[in-house]
Amino acid sequence: MRANSLVMESGSEPGTDDAVPPQRPADPPRTPAKRPRRRPPLGLVLLALPAIAFFVVFSYAPMAGLVVAFKDFSISDGVFGSPWSGLDNFRYFFSTGDAPRILANTLFLNTLFLGATLLTGITLAVMLNEIRVKLFKRAIQSVIFFPYFVSPIVISIILQVLLAGVGGSGGAANDLLHVFNLPQVEWYTQPGPWPWILTVVKIWQLGGYLSIIFLAAITAIPEEVYEAGMIDGASRTQMAFRITVPLLRPTAAVLLVLGIGRIFYGDFGTIYAIVGDNGTLFPTTDVIDTYVFRSLRQLGDFGSTAAVGLFQSVVGFVLVVLAVLVQRRYAKESSIL
Amino acid sequence: MSANLSRRGFLAAGGGLSLAAVLGLSGCGDSNSDSSSGDGAKDLKLLLPGAVPDGWAAVLEAVNKKLQADLGFSITPQFINWNNYGSQALLKFTAGEKFETALQARWLNMAQLVGSGSLVDVGPLVTGGKYPNLQKTLNDKLIELNKWSGKLWGIPQVNSAGRIHHFAIRQDLAEKYGITEITDYPTLEKFWYDVKQRDPRVTPIALSQNQSNLTCVPGPVAMFNAASWENANRIAQSFSGGSMPFFLAENAKETGSSDPVPFWELDGVVDALRTIRKYYQDGIINRDALNVDAATTKGLFTNGQTASAWATTDGLSSTTLLPGLQKAVKGAQLANVVPLKGGKSAKPNQTFQADNFTVLNAKGASNERAMQLEDWLSIKENHDLISYGVEGKDWKPVGADKFEQLSTYAFPGFALCWRTSLERRSALMTESEADWFSWAQDYDNFTVDTFASFIPDVNPVKREEAQISQAFTQYGNPLFFGAVDVDAGLDKLKKAVSSAGLDKLQTELAKQADEYLKTVK
Repeated sequence: MRANSLVMESGSEPGTDDAVPPQRPADPPRTPAKRPRRRPPLGLVLLALPAIAFFVVFSYAPMAGLVVAFKDFSISDGVFGSPWSGLDNFRYFFSTGDAPRILANTLFLNTLFLGATLLTGITLAVMLNEIRVKLFKRAIQSVIFFPYFVSPIVISIILQVLLAGVGGSGGAANDLLHVFNLPQVEWYTQPGPWPWILTVVKIWQLGGYLSIIFLAAITAIPEEVYEAGMIDGASRTQMAFRITVPLLRPTAAVLLVLGIGRIFYGDFGTIYAIVGDNGTLFPTTDVIDTYVFRSLRQLGDFGSTAAVGLFQSVVGFVLVVLAVLVQRRYAKESSIL
Repeated sequence: MSANLSRRGFLAAGGGLSLAAVLGLSGCGDSNSDSSSGDGAKDLKLLLPGAVPDGWAAVLEAVNKKLQADLGFSITPQFINWNNYGSQALLKFTAGEKFETALQARWLNMAQLVGSGSLVDVGPLVTGGKYPNLQKTLNDKLIELNKWSGKLWGIPQVNSAGRIHHFAIRQDLAEKYGITEITDYPTLEKFWYDVKQRDPRVTPIALSQNQSNLTCVPGPVAMFNAASWENANRIAQSFSGGSMPFFLAENAKETGSSDPVPFWELDGVVDALRTIRKYYQDGIINRDALNVDAATTKGLFTNGQTASAWATTDGLSSTTLLPGLQKAVKGAQLANVVPLKGGKSAKPNQTFQADNFTVLNAKGASNERAMQLEDWLSIKENHDLISYGVEGKDWKPVGADKFEQLSTYAFPGFALCWRTSLERRSALMTESEADWFSWAQDYDNFTVDTFASFIPDVNPVKREEAQISQAFTQYGNPLFFGAVDVDAGLDKLKKAVSSAGLDKLQTELAKQADEYLKTVK
C-alpha cells in the first residue's frame, strides 16, 4: 500500500500546467504477484515430527472418541458400533438439581485458585528479586518451589493431621483453638471454610512455582530501566510497583489466559485427594470433575461422562477465545495472540 | 530429493498421521476379532486386585513351571491397585483388551458388563463335566443361587456358605472390664462405653469410608442396628452397590407382590441411625469415617488405637489382624463377636450370592484355557501353591487343613481360586473365629431368602440410579456415619432421592421383583 501511494503521488507533479488530471493507471491484474514459495526447511520439520506425532496420537486422534458423548455406549458394540442417543447424555448432567451448584463451585474455586496463585507468584517474585545475598535467595527459591512436587495424597494426609488428628476429633488446628479457649471445629463436616482451605493449599503448592516463572521474566527486564528509575530518584518500593510489576503484565497475561482455558476443569487431583467422597463438604467443593468421576466409578457410564467432558472442553475453548479478545481490546501490548 | 517440504506436503503429512492414528485407535476400540474359543493362547493374562504380593516372582515361576508341564501354557497376572481396580478393569473391557479373567462383582461393574455382552456364561462350562476338579469344588446350591436369570456369569469365589458381617474385638480389654464373652448387642455396646471410659486414648470402633452400607441397613444384619441382631431375616435389595436400598415384602412369596419400600421404612433403621449419631457424639465411633480408608482403620486396630474392627465370616480376621496387634500390644487377644440373638441357631437369611466372581472375558484369547486354569487351580496342590506360596519358604502345613505362615506372602485368592473345600485355615485362627467360620461353611445354618437369586437389571433406570447414587454419597453416607443430625439429614436425603427419580426406581424394582416371584417355586 505504501509503495502504491508513493507512485500515485509522483503521478501528478506539482507545478505542471497540465489541465487534464492524470489518468489513474489501470488496476494491475488481480492475480497475486509471483512470490518465491516459502517452504519450511525439511530439517526443522523432521525435528518437529516427534512432537507433531505426539499431539496427533495423544491429543487429536482421541478426539474421535468424543462421539461417545452422543451415543448409548455399549462395551461390546464399541465406540463406533454403539447406537446414537442424541443429546440424552447431556441431559443426564443438566437434569440433576446439582448442576447449577457444581458449575458455580467449579467457576468459583478455579477463579479463586487462579487469582490467589498468580497474585502470590508475583508477590513472591518481587520479594525474591529484592534479596541480594545469592545463596540465601537460592535457598528460599528451593524451599518455596518444593511444595510443587508434593503429591496431593500427601497433602491430604498433612491436612488430616492438622485439621482432624487420629479418629477425627482433634488435630493441631483444634489444639491451637483450644489454647485460645476457642470452640473446636469439626473441619471435615463443615463445608463453609473449605474453599479457603483449598485455596491456601493451592497457594502453598503453586505460589513458589509461579514465582520462578515471574522471576525469570524479571531478569529479562533491561537494567537501564531501573537505572533510569534510580536517576529519577525512585525508591526500591516505587521501582518494584512502577517498573517490575507493570513489566510482568505480559507473563501474567499468558498465565491468566492458560488458566482461564482450564477454568472449567476443577483441579481434580487436589480436590478429590483431599475431599474424597465426603458428602458433607460437597456443597462448596464438588466440581464437575469430581462429580463425573463418581458417576463413572459408580455406574461406568461413559456416555454421560464423555458428554460432560465435551461440555468442559467447549466452554474452556470459548473462554480462552474470549480472554484473548478482551486482552486484544483492552491490553493489546500484552496480548499473546 | 528436495531439502524443503511444501506447506501442502507438510499438511498432508500431518493429516495422514492423524488419519492413521484415528484408524489405529478405532481398530483398537472396535476389534471384534473373536478368538474366545481358540486354544492357542500360550500365556493367559489375568486381572487381579491389590499390590503385587511379597515374593510373587518366585511363586509365579513355580506356578508357571508346573502349569507349563501340566497344560502347556503359562499365566501373567496383572495386579491393579484396589483404589483403581474398578475403573481400570472396566476400561480394559471397554477398550477390547485381550485378557482372560478378571475379578468382578455386583459392587464393581458386573451388571453393566453382563448387559453389554462382555462376559461368558460359564454355567454350561462348569456343570458340563469337562472340568471335573472345578465342578467338584463348587456346591450345587452355590451355582444355582448365583445364576442371574438362569445364567452363571462368573465362577463364584467363596470360602464359606454364608457371610455375616460382625466384629473382631480386643478380648484382652473385654476381660479387663470383667466381660468374659460377648454374645448380644447390649453387652457389646457396654464394652464400647467401657473402652471409652476406662481407656480414653483408645477409640471403641473405627469405620472407614467404604463401610457406609454396613452400619444401619440390614443385609441381614447391620453393625449398629440392634433390631437386625435380634431378627436377622431381612435383606435389602438395590440396583447397584452404594445406591438406594429397598426392602421387599416379607410375605412376597405368598402374595406374589414384592411391594418395595425405601430402607427408612423398615422397623429399626431410623433407631439405628439415632444410635449411630449418639455413638458419633459420644466418641464411640471415629469422626473421620467419611475420609479414612480401610487400610487406615486396620492400621489403627493393629496398632492398638481402636478396640474393635469390622469382620466377616471368611476366616481371615485372625490372619490379617492378630500378628500386627500382638506385635504392637503385648498380651493383646482377639475374639470374633457375632451378637445374633440365638447365636449359632439363629438361621439368618442369606442370598448365598458370592461377593466376588472370577469372570471370563468374552473377547479373551482363549476361554477354553481360562477354564482349564480354573480347573487346575481346583487341585489342592496347585491351589496351595498359588494361595499360600512356596511350601517351606512361605508356609508350612499344620495338620491336614491348617497352615503356618512363614513369610508375608498374601495372594488375593478371592479373585481367582477360592474354593470352600480347599481352603486351609491359618494356625493363628482364634477359637472364636474358628467356631463362627465352621458355622458359616454349612448351608443348613442359614435361611434361603425369598429373593436369593434376584438380580435387578439397572439398564431401564440407569440415569435415575446414577443420580440417586450421587445423592447417597452426598446425603446418605454422612447420615450412616452419624456425622449429621438424623432428622435433618434424612429429610435432605429423602428430598434428594425423590427429585432424582425414587418413584421410577421403586416402580421398576417392583416390576422386576414381581416378575422374579413368578419364577420362584
